[in-house]
Amino acid sequence: MKKKRIFLAVIILIWIGIAVFLIASKQMTLSTGTRVVLQTRPVDPRDLLRGDYVVLNYEITNLNFGKLGIRKERHYKPGETLYIQLEKKGKYWSAVDIKEKKDRDKGKLYIKGKIKRSYGHELTLHYGIESYFVPEGEGKAIEKSMRGVEKSPVTVEVYISDSGSAVIKRLFIDNQPVTFK
Amino acid sequence: MWRYSYLISWLFFGLIIYVIFRAIFGRKSKYYKWLQKQLPLWEQGNIINPEQSDRIRGLYKLKKIDPAKKMDMVKIFSIIGAIFVGVGVMSFVASNWQRMPNYLKTIKLLGTTSFTLILGYYLSYEKEAYRKTGKALVLLSSIFWGASIALICQIYQVPSSGNWLIMLIWAFPILPLAIVFENEYVYILSSVLFVAWNYLYSTANSVPNYFYPVMVFLLLIPMGKMSIIGQRINVLALITAGIYAAIWKYEWVSLIIGVGFLIYYILKKDEKFYFYGASLSFIAWLFTFSVIHLKHPNFYFLIPLSVLLYMTYRNKVKENILFCILSFVVWIHLVLKAFNAMLEYRIDGMFNLFMFTLFIGAFLYLVGVISLKKEYIFHESYKKMGFLIAAMTVYFLSFKNIYPHQNVNMLYVSASVGLMIITLIGIGFGFVARYFNSRTDYKEIGTLVAILLAGVFLLISPKAAYLNALVMNILLIGLGIVCLLMGVDWKKPSIFNSGIAILALFIITRYIDVAWKLKEKSLFFVVGGLLMLGGGVVLEKQRRKIVERMKI
Repeated sequence: MKKKRIFLAVIILIWIGIAVFLIASKQMTLSTGTRVVLQTRPVDPRDLLRGDYVVLNYEITNLNFGKLGIRKERHYKPGETLYIQLEKKGKYWSAVDIKEKKDRDKGKLYIKGKIKRSYGHELTLHYGIESYFVPEGEGKAIEKSMRGVEKSPVTVEVYISDSGSAVIKRLFIDNQPVTFK
Repeated sequence: MWRYSYLISWLFFGLIIYVIFRAIFGRKSKYYKWLQKQLPLWEQGNIINPEQSDRIRGLYKLKKIDPAKKMDMVKIFSIIGAIFVGVGVMSFVASNWQRMPNYLKTIKLLGTTSFTLILGYYLSYEKEAYRKTGKALVLLSSIFWGASIALICQIYQVPSSGNWLIMLIWAFPILPLAIVFENEYVYILSSVLFVAWNYLYSTANSVPNYFYPVMVFLLLIPMGKMSIIGQRINVLALITAGIYAAIWKYEWVSLIIGVGFLIYYILKKDEKFYFYGASLSFIAWLFTFSVIHLKHPNFYFLIPLSVLLYMTYRNKVKENILFCILSFVVWIHLVLKAFNAMLEYRIDGMFNLFMFTLFIGAFLYLVGVISLKKEYIFHESYKKMGFLIAAMTVYFLSFKNIYPHQNVNMLYVSASVGLMIITLIGIGFGFVARYFNSRTDYKEIGTLVAILLAGVFLLISPKAAYLNALVMNILLIGLGIVCLLMGVDWKKPSIFNSGIAILALFIITRYIDVAWKLKEKSLFFVVGGLLMLGGGVVLEKQRRKIVERMKI
């Protein structure tokens, strides 16, 4: 019986430990990461597990080697991890280079992405920031304002750590932060 | 309308195959199933003793089963209650309620998770009178743990549905709970989450997941002694993972799973499930290999096949001989396909495949006949498979459209001739050794020779579509009649029924062939339907009378 109690305590500590680690890793990025504003193109489905969410597609989601002025060194496969160098151009940050982990230059900002599709000179990448959760019932209202007669530009405030991990902080529609009551 | 006719014809075809399969392989009537369940209850009530029970089972060839457990309402309500509460909490998280600050939501949910687990432990072990409720609460705490992860992901905008890492973080920490507290519900939940992890990992990374089979074999199955259902779920999940890997051309996963199952079977001989799993996984690997290495015949497959065959015979695992025979047939076809690819020969249509398969069916049937004479085991399985393969092939070859307009494939022709010669030598050997000496034996061998002769027609004039189709239709009728006669001779309802099924299939198919070309198709459906309704009732009455007479 005593052993089972000790085991119970250990399990609870492990659970809390994992939760704290998850929170800490994300909070660290938000606290110490570089603030970046990215342009988006949203679509709105429903997540069965966790309510309404907005699917976000970024300017940096689909990259073309030719348009970036980079030479494609080899064929890339889906599932591979790449690092996209970002630079600020005007209000927003855009992709300027594509590197592998070992080829990154120091002092430059990179966002880590996983290849979803690779066809010819184009790559589609996911950065783990493709969804923004909204309270139940609020998704349609946001979708309306984004798909209205005069479409409002949607941008996302993201924090990127030194390792390239990104966390969304806020969503902006027409430069106004989206808030919920 | 005509788009659906394609689907309907496939459904109809599937139904026909099902009927033939059941007719040939037989079916335990509901009365036998009732008797099988009653015997342990009669033993418990001292109505009969165990020896009498065994004798009754022996008479009707029934397997011994455990008495059915009474439904435990407390257990059921506890589990359903736990699941309802868990789903409710998940929905609450999903609704993304903004009135409470995120840190408060997280603390409350983690606190509830911990409290539920502690309460579950207390009721299970400290206050043992509420053990079942306690187990349900431990399950609930595991669901709450998943909700906690989902909440943290939601707060930091991390996608969790479809996220393999989240599934892993949910599944791994609850597995020790299942093992130490011997909680089968949590074990099942953990197993299901690992299955989800397997597929999500493969899909997200476009790579095979080698970790999953290793984890199941080294951790989940050995630690799952508290739950047979959980172990079965893991075994089924592994088999499915092997087939999934084969579809995505992840060659080595199916092989690893097959080897793993085989090792498990060697260690635990009474668990035939592992043996079937090994056979299915090796077949999946066989297909993957042939798709990836188009021009390389897979001779390596003979190694696991030999091991499976040896163990099937040694441990007398009747069901597995069917897997072995099927996999041998598939293997030989894939080897021919590889040689054709190597030599860059064309294979037009399905004719070559069916022609060769016809000789395979005849050969297997002969193996069954000679095995019976030499009193080897599994003779019935060889005969059943051989007959099924031959009959199905004859059925497909009874359609004119199957015959080629261009030259046939020389490799298939050579293989067919080779197999025919081997079969004829086998028949000759049987006569020399005086294995065939009764009228029934002559009927069997006569049918076999008729099949081979029909095969010769195909070899000599493969493009003579009308003639070959006619020969095959006559052979099909012949097979049906032979089955009826043999069924009566041997007093075996399954053989008699298969004869009925073959003749019914022939009549229905040819009716459709003729009537489909009529301008008035509605007339075809109405007349056909009425004939089947009326004919079916009459046929069934007559069949039952004959089968009842056979049993006396």
